[in-house]
Amino acid sequence: MTNSMLTVTGLAKSYGPMPALAGVDLDVTRGTLLAVLGPSGCGKTTLLRCVAGFERADEGMVAVAGRTVAGNRLHVPPHRRGVAVVPQEGALFPHLSVADNVGYGLDRAARRSGRVEETLELVGLAAYGARMPHQLSGGQQQRVAIARALAPRPALVLLDEPFSALDARLRAELRADVRQALRADGATGVLVTHDQGEALSMADAVAVMDAGLIVQCGAPAAVYRDPATPWIARFVGEAVLLPATVDADVATTPLGRLPLRGSAACGAATVLVRPEQIRLTPSGGAPATVVRQDFHGHDALTTVRLDDGTVLTARMLDEDNGLTAGTRVAITVRGQVRAYAE
Amino acid sequence: MRKRLSLVLAGTLAGLVSLTACGGSDSDPGKPGDKRLTVYSGRSEALVKPVLEKFEKATGITVDVRYGTTSQMAAQLLEEGKRSPADAFFAQDAGALGAVSKAGLFAVLPAEQLDRVPATYRDANGRWVGVSGRSRVLAYNADQVRAAELPKSVFELTDPKWQGKIGLAPTNGSFQAFVTALRVQHGDAKAREFLTGLKANQPQVREGNVQIVADIDAGTLAVGLVNHYYVYELAKERGGSPDVLKAKLHFFPDGDTGGLVNAAGVGLLERAGTDPDARALVDYLLGTEAQTYFATQTFEYPLAAGVPAAPGLPQLAALEAPKIDLNDLDTLDATVTMIKEAGLA
Amino acid sequence: MLAGRSLALAAVVTAACAVLGVGTALLVTRTDLPGRRVFGVLAALPLAVPTYVAGFAWTATVTGFEGFWAAALLLTVCSYPYVFLPAVAALNRTDPGQEEVSRSLGKGPWATLFGVTLRQIRPAVAAGSLLVALYVLSDFGAVSIVRVDTFTRAIFTAFNLGFDRTGALVLSTVLVLLTVLLIGAELTTRTRDARYASTAVRLPVRLRLARWRGPALAGLLAVNGLALGVPAAGLARWLAAGVSRPGSLAEIAAAAGASLSVSLAGTALTMLLALPLGLLTARAPGPVATALDRLTYLAHALPGVVIGLSLVFFAVNVAYPLYQSAWLLALAYATLFLPLAVGAVASAAAQSPPAVEEAARSLGRGPFTVFRTVTLPLTLPGIGAGAALTFLTCMKELPATLLLRPTGMDTLATELWTHTSTAAYAAAAPYAAILVALAAVPTWLLAARTGLTQTGATR
Repeated sequence: MTNSMLTVTGLAKSYGPMPALAGVDLDVTRGTLLAVLGPSGCGKTTLLRCVAGFERADEGMVAVAGRTVAGNRLHVPPHRRGVAVVPQEGALFPHLSVADNVGYGLDRAARRSGRVEETLELVGLAAYGARMPHQLSGGQQQRVAIARALAPRPALVLLDEPFSALDARLRAELRADVRQALRADGATGVLVTHDQGEALSMADAVAVMDAGLIVQCGAPAAVYRDPATPWIARFVGEAVLLPATVDADVATTPLGRLPLRGSAACGAATVLVRPEQIRLTPSGGAPATVVRQDFHGHDALTTVRLDDGTVLTARMLDEDNGLTAGTRVAITVRGQVRAYAE
Repeated sequence: MRKRLSLVLAGTLAGLVSLTACGGSDSDPGKPGDKRLTVYSGRSEALVKPVLEKFEKATGITVDVRYGTTSQMAAQLLEEGKRSPADAFFAQDAGALGAVSKAGLFAVLPAEQLDRVPATYRDANGRWVGVSGRSRVLAYNADQVRAAELPKSVFELTDPKWQGKIGLAPTNGSFQAFVTALRVQHGDAKAREFLTGLKANQPQVREGNVQIVADIDAGTLAVGLVNHYYVYELAKERGGSPDVLKAKLHFFPDGDTGGLVNAAGVGLLERAGTDPDARALVDYLLGTEAQTYFATQTFEYPLAAGVPAAPGLPQLAALEAPKIDLNDLDTLDATVTMIKEAGLA
Repeated sequence: MLAGRSLALAAVVTAACAVLGVGTALLVTRTDLPGRRVFGVLAALPLAVPTYVAGFAWTATVTGFEGFWAAALLLTVCSYPYVFLPAVAALNRTDPGQEEVSRSLGKGPWATLFGVTLRQIRPAVAAGSLLVALYVLSDFGAVSIVRVDTFTRAIFTAFNLGFDRTGALVLSTVLVLLTVLLIGAELTTRTRDARYASTAVRLPVRLRLARWRGPALAGLLAVNGLALGVPAAGLARWLAAGVSRPGSLAEIAAAAGASLSVSLAGTALTMLLALPLGLLTARAPGPVATALDRLTYLAHALPGVVIGLSLVFFAVNVAYPLYQSAWLLALAYATLFLPLAVGAVASAAAQSPPAVEEAARSLGRGPFTVFRTVTLPLTLPGIGAGAALTFLTCMKELPATLLLRPTGMDTLATELWTHTSTAAYAAAAPYAAILVALAAVPTWLLAARTGLTQTGATR
């Protein structure tokens, strides 16, 4: 009927005088994964706990699959919401086998129907049903936790920073697999994370949260390319922010005159340039000196100082560019930039 | 784990079932003449049980006994008041019987039972009757103290020559009964003076008479104020006759308070006063069989039926015990306070 | 005077137990001491020895064993397991990572011990110490045998010698006030954050004792000699020395059966009351839970005779059918020993982290089902430990048992008391031996629970 599996309206919650949620609005479409991205302490975990029903919101409304579960003094208990959570460290039941963990939320008939095996297969642990949780690695435990959440086909799966305790390689692998599993199962999910890479790579939509409010919500590419504020720009990805003067569709910056994406009010402004837009050439741009290079394997971040003292970073693919500290370079900017009026 | 749990559960259930089974049999005040009695015994099970078993056999009356110390039982009776499930209270000393009697919980016994015991060893109002007697003595180590040195009066123990040599059990009921007797016979001032003098002599305080007698026999104490039968008990526990022990008895002469003869006795609770079963118990305790038992097994003085005392003991009539009405020994509170004030307990 | 002496004794014993309990716990969990598993079990075993048995054994072994320091020694060796057991459990729970970090930051083993390890187990040690302090305040057996005047002894004297109930109640009130002080002191050591079991299980690095191995071994042997050897020798001597003989085998069996059944009933009732209270304390910490929890400690510090006589009065006047039934005795045990069980349940609840329960709720299971399928299975070992502790304490209890047992029922403890009070030590010995042996079974379970008896502590 409805295509919205989660609708949150004006959700507010305070602990004492400190507001954790200050009126949150959210909408998650069936079959998609929404990432709630924010720094620690922004209220994203509180939001998740209110949606799951572990906490009672002070104000606002939560609807799951079109059914109101919180709001207007209504508080549906967690087990009647159809919202399954995947906690940070998995929180597997230590006394149950992997299969029993996954089958925990299923009734007897569903357990016999092969759903347990199906979901274990989905997370790549088909042969592990008889193991006990402590016999699994951290990544495997997390996969079981996800299978356990998926098994009863909940209206919504909530993932609370599920990869934070894993190492980088495992994290990347697991992200892809989890995304795949959710999609294959047609599940709708909300992923809470402070890791922008995780949010951008996994989610269909990203909601950026700060101080108890959703400050921007949209497709990952849109949020990255067109952040609503300089703060979001800096939080979502690397950002070079330069002072500028806007005139019509051109901004005058220390890097020269740059074309604007969209429009901005004329006058003093801040301009966002992503490091990958910046190119360093031997000559033919704003003159600068290389300060240092940070090697990242697949690419490198080069920090340079303009002659007026402004420091910025450029991202470049790893090619032997021969740049070392002290090398004189010239800077040019590819593509359009985003301007924020002062 | 699961197995262990079910074991525990099974055990608990079994325990509960057995509890329910034994829970129903008591706490139900018997009716007169139902051939069933509940006795609170302040005397120890080891001593009293054989007597009561013989009584059961002789009369066909079943006796449920609750054992404790005399003072515990008295405290419990006082707490229970008129609703006590007890029919009879068999106590170790007259003071506790007096306290329960004072609270109006005892029935008056018939004169024919009271008259079988010398007036000294029963309640003036007929609410309890003595069953066996215990004399206070000075036990001494025959190697350390010559008979000629033994004091004529308990008051001589405040003499510095006994410094550090005397064993006392100030928290023991018998000692307290003795101090109460001092107060009755000589007044509070004299009693206090005696206790203070005794304290100044740095007596060796022991928890009970048993330890005092054992220490005297071992030579770590020279003398001690105890009841006469403890030496016999020690001999019995060692498996020999009292003659081989180093610990000997000295009876204070001339009606000295140190030679107080206290009574263990029995009283019937108000409700059981007319119960023929309860009266049969009193009859039995005052009869030849029970009296002989106390003389030969507990080495106490039999008080009725003309039974003689244990061999080696002076006869009851020959004791030069102080002339004290045992009914007056029921002011233990004041005695305990005085003993504490003297720094002895 | 009395208050001063009672508090001083409690302070000395508690401090000694804390040192001894924590020291032993550290030696068996954090060092390469040979035979540490055996020592771990031995260190729990004094719990099985009633203080009055130990007291008689000591006075029989050491002439002139009396006075304040004798009482302090006796109570210390009898009650240090109250600190040892929670300390071991806490040490096994702590994250060794923190200790490794401390070492890597240049702190030596001692600095790490005091700065990190002991701090982590402080709440457990404080809770155990509180039990010790309350036990010392309410103990009668040991202090009367070695003749130290404490409040509890004064209460007994007032009851037993003066038939003075008012005086005894006044003294009891003072004891309650002392207890309130102690509880307040312990509360200040509690940290606000609840600690839940971490899923990471790693073996701590064991300290190499090197040249301290000899002294450490000698110390532990000495403690065990005092705590277990002396009572054992005393019992053996009783058996050998006298000719007084216990009742028939049937009588001994009946007493053992009675002890087991009333203790089981007492334990069952105690656990029934402790479960909701412990879970409340662990899961909904707040003023109400704290107040309820602390309230149970008040009864724990009162001597058994006070609780016993109160229940006599209660039953005679309010619930006469219960009077002198085993149920009333079970109720007395529950009143006296509730904190032991509540503490165990509360710390067991910490073994089931809320995240796990929340995950279960989110999978569509109602609160009761979650309790049955998740909370209970995870907390059961801890609850079992609480039950074991309660059970063995019930087995040893004497004053309330004497007052409240059904007429005609003898337990091991009352039989033991009957025979020792008439100096029939040889007759008493089998009862003491069986009592200690039976109490040793739950004690062993307690020690086993701490992981001391397992060969492979981790995966």
